[in-house]
Amino acid sequence: MSNFNTILLECDNISKQYGFFFALNKISFHLDENSILGVIGANGAGKTTLIKILAGLTSPTSGKIVIKGKNYKANDKSIKQIIGTITNKSFLYEELTIYENLKFFSKLYSIYDKSTFKDKIDYYAKKFNLSNWIFEPISNLSTGMKQKVEIIRILIQNPSILLLDEPFSGLDFNTIKLLVKILIELKEKENLTIVIATHKIEVAQEISDKILILKRGKISKLAPINEIDKNEIESYF
Amino acid sequence: MKTKKNSSKSDLKLFITILQKDIKSEIRQINDIFSIILFGIISIFIFSSSYNTINLGVLMPIEIFVIQIWLIIFFTLIFIMIKLFVQEKEKGTLYGLTSSPVSNSVLLISKVVFCFILLSFIELILILFSFFISIPSIQALNFNEFLYYIMIGIVLPTLDLSICGTLVSALSMYSKNKSFVLPLLLFPIILPITSPIMSLNIKLLEGELISMIVIELLFLMAHAILMFSILIFVSEELLSE
Repeated sequence: MSNFNTILLECDNISKQYGFFFALNKISFHLDENSILGVIGANGAGKTTLIKILAGLTSPTSGKIVIKGKNYKANDKSIKQIIGTITNKSFLYEELTIYENLKFFSKLYSIYDKSTFKDKIDYYAKKFNLSNWIFEPISNLSTGMKQKVEIIRILIQNPSILLLDEPFSGLDFNTIKLLVKILIELKEKENLTIVIATHKIEVAQEISDKILILKRGKISKLAPINEIDKNEIESYF
Repeated sequence: MKTKKNSSKSDLKLFITILQKDIKSEIRQINDIFSIILFGIISIFIFSSSYNTINLGVLMPIEIFVIQIWLIIFFTLIFIMIKLFVQEKEKGTLYGLTSSPVSNSVLLISKVVFCFILLSFIELILILFSFFISIPSIQALNFNEFLYYIMIGIVLPTLDLSICGTLVSALSMYSKNKSFVLPLLLFPIILPITSPIMSLNIKLLEGELISMIVIELLFLMAHAILMFSILIFVSEELLSE
């Protein structure tokens, strides 16, 4: 078995400036294929900005991002095709049903196939215990259910990279546990690379292979999970 | 060349997908449209009633009728603009669109068309209603003249307003005081076309020939092209936070 990992994502000196304020200041790191990077930090540390830049929601003021060997700026359409994003704000349309939302997003990513779509939805709905809710509007679902639909949305998209910004906020303990299980399963079975920005240190420790600690827009520490303990992480807050 | 053709085809598909979603979402929130229509109808009713109280038995002159209608349409546009980008930004659904592999120009064009459809639908109801309530002193227009009026007097200005509305909605969505910024940005942009729109409508309702409205027509078309070019030119900056 080879020990060489393929680099999937490379950030080179990326900065994001709003006026005189640096939300991110010369961030550099790389991420291997099939791994989980936990991004943690206090409020205003730059976690969300980092996720937004990687998701293509905002452009960095300076620096370069390379994904699968391609420059993000020059190939944003093809790169966005392989990135799945979940933020603390839902992408789902409240007035549309689960089925309509998933159909819309699969069309948006040009992966809609009429002959297989229904089976695909049925499969994931069964897996996430949502079979009875498929034709219900999103507004009728609980926060946990909505988060499950968000996960189905990106699974259908079949991405290589998953970006999660505070995916556990507002969820109860059992739903967090379930989501953590799903994320680990996704990494192992679907070979996904995951970047997860969270406040929850315990969860980040449980699922991450690598931890990136941000403080006021700068990297305070970047290390494999076995080289860093909870007390050390807490000292950066 | 084949790649370009395929890309245009997929852009067209994406445009239809976004437009369908917007229309479906709007139908599910039909109360919002009813509220806008109700606002228009009440405004027409109040305007007509006050005119009739002062000028007993005198039919409403075309000039006043046109000003009344378009003034209400300009306000209606502000309500629709909120639905374009501001609401999507506030709900977070805009990120779903901008993080997908859809080009910003396709997204903006679909919003222009959505705004045009919604505004046209509301205008249709308001104009029909105002013809009965305000009873303007219009001589009977023949079918061709009526068609000219709809195509040139209504459709062209509505398209121009939809482009301006989309541009302003996208410009103001990241602002903290959206309700303040929205009309503040809109009025300077639509102010140059208010006079040509009124003049165009008055002349068409008076049954004048196309040759008499060429200047207004050219001005409106030039304004629409200019606003559309700005919209496409700044599309990357508009939708990037």
